[in-house]
Amino acid sequence: MTLRLNLAGAVSGLAVLCTGVAAQAEVLFWSTQARPVEEAQAMRENVLAGFADGVDYQPNEEGPWLTRLQAEIQAGSGSIGVLGALEGNFAAIDPETLVDLDELGVKSTSDTYNSLAMLGTDSMQFLPWMQASYIMAANKEALQYLPEGADIDALTYDQLIEWAANVHEGVGQPKFGFPAGPKGLKHRFFQGYLYPSFTNGVVRTFASPEAVTAWQKFLELWEHTNPASTNFSFMQEQLLSGDAWIVFDHTSRLAQAFNDRPDDFVAFPAPAGPTGRGFMPVLAGIAIPSTAPDMDAAKELVKYLMQPETQIATLRATNFFPVVEAELPDDMPPSVKAAGAAVAKMSASPDANPGMLPSGLGEKSGDFSRIYVDTFERIVLAGQPIEQVLEDQKKQLMAIMEETGAPCWAPDAPSDGACPVE
Amino acid sequence: MTATDTLPEAAAAPRKAGQYVYAASVALLCAWVIVPLYLLLINTLSSPETVNSFPKSFIPEFDLGSLQFFAGFEGMLVALKNSVVVAAMTMVLSITIGAPAGYALSRFDFRGKELFRLLILLTRAFPLPLLALPLAVLFIRTGLDDTAFGLALVHTTLAIPFAVLITFSLFSGIPVELEEAAWTLGCTRYTAFTKVVLPLILPGITASAIFAFVISWNEVFAAAVLTIENRTLTAFLLQTLGEAPLHLKFAGGFILVVPALIFIFAVRKYLFAMWGIANR
Repeated sequence: MTLRLNLAGAVSGLAVLCTGVAAQAEVLFWSTQARPVEEAQAMRENVLAGFADGVDYQPNEEGPWLTRLQAEIQAGSGSIGVLGALEGNFAAIDPETLVDLDELGVKSTSDTYNSLAMLGTDSMQFLPWMQASYIMAANKEALQYLPEGADIDALTYDQLIEWAANVHEGVGQPKFGFPAGPKGLKHRFFQGYLYPSFTNGVVRTFASPEAVTAWQKFLELWEHTNPASTNFSFMQEQLLSGDAWIVFDHTSRLAQAFNDRPDDFVAFPAPAGPTGRGFMPVLAGIAIPSTAPDMDAAKELVKYLMQPETQIATLRATNFFPVVEAELPDDMPPSVKAAGAAVAKMSASPDANPGMLPSGLGEKSGDFSRIYVDTFERIVLAGQPIEQVLEDQKKQLMAIMEETGAPCWAPDAPSDGACPVE
Repeated sequence: MTATDTLPEAAAAPRKAGQYVYAASVALLCAWVIVPLYLLLINTLSSPETVNSFPKSFIPEFDLGSLQFFAGFEGMLVALKNSVVVAAMTMVLSITIGAPAGYALSRFDFRGKELFRLLILLTRAFPLPLLALPLAVLFIRTGLDDTAFGLALVHTTLAIPFAVLITFSLFSGIPVELEEAAWTLGCTRYTAFTKVVLPLILPGITASAIFAFVISWNEVFAAAVLTIENRTLTAFLLQTLGEAPLHLKFAGGFILVVPALIFIFAVRKYLFAMWGIANR
């Protein structure tokens, strides 16, 4: 009984505490980015606190994010002021429901990003907000196993496999880590790194003989990959725990390792294959839904987020880099320095083969990525013959390309109409 | 049965073995529940380095860093309050709607009774992500959107099958003769219910209220879509925890578990009473 009294006391005490924090008319920033607790906290305290009207920053998983947005649009009224999401999330939304942002007069410095942001219309549907990429990182203990003559900043896939094999032999355990877990971003490795590096394409060359080679190479690498990789989604965790010594992942998913123990890890560019050093950017954008309750405040917030100072604060908070001209100060966190240097080396390398984000797929972009994940699971995890799997998956890929009519994007050669699977 | 009756001395050994099996199962069941909670506690009270290292120590080092992070996390207390409010409303609503339905199912014969029992379970057959969109549209139009009451309605729908089926079996366990006896002694149908049946069934009702509480406490998707300012703790924390560093995952999980544990601990005697264990 006394316990219940105590409990009641505690609850009412909490209730009293809570009443002090009443909701006010802030702009609701509905985002799928900067979701991990620490990033969300940094967004609130260090990035958005400077906005005069106040911002209610609410990070969400993609399911609730999209459902809530669709509900508000269908109902014709809502509370979301500003949307933040990846380019692919916006591609899945009807551009009609987003406010045209041309009149704000702010843009990113990249024309490619700006044209992606039009979502196939004539005006900006979202604004490029911040960018990142995928890089490699390694525990310094692994460096002693680097193959002879290999330059860590200019590795090839063969050297990477040899390196992983050396570590495997030296330590007795496979120490390559790959984010193949349920929340891991493995499909981006295939779309933006493996395929461009071996086939100089993503869609056209999906089932080409070069693609077969690419998968064979990946199978070789997989032999030296920690088999628990199918549970890994954030390689910073395995770097820190020592389960993996050489890893591939999104820059912001490696950040914690560099920030916690900056002296223990190195970041370096993705490896190169026969057709160059394939790599892919990640682009996040901000938009305003047509149902925003306070349109002026929402537009002010978008402008605020595009200011160079805000972009640098965002970089500190999320490890996503600015998309506007912004001078980086010297006191950036270790993760930003390491990732920034690796991305710069990657894009400046003589054999760089940058790929674009898949575009024009609209709501099919999820299915598109699914094809690469399924191919991986069938070839690598289920051990099915490569040629047959590629032939099977090719049909589905063709169906998606024909249905969406999406033209080819780099590094695939341009196409008239839907990008063909050759 | 016959063997133990006729050969008491030969049965002693198996009985002793049976005791060991019994003790072992009890220990196993306790460990099943306690060990994960204990590991959660240890990792919550550990520094990030310890959380990432292996092997783990079984003694917490009382590093409060992870918990302190959440102490400064904006909106936690409001979310906790909302969770409690929504869970309490869900409890009340699911009992006031579910218990009469359970009573009707056990005491009256009507056409379509079996079908009704089946249909009640159907509310659990549709995944919430499917229902959330039309619900959210409806809620926005009717003004229920972003209110604790609206969310409690959704959670009640999820909790009602349990409330109905639990109270149904409880009412069925109370002989109708007891009620009839009360009627002959001057009770009306209503007073017979309140004076005779209700005291007998109270522990069971509490148990189904606990189910309702736990269901509401754990639900994420509807809470994430249907509330914005008035987020529940689960919606508020769980979505951001999935991608958080390990030590914060543990601390956040701990924060989510503790209030539910306190609640269940506070009402445990009703739960035990339903299972026929003496009230200690």
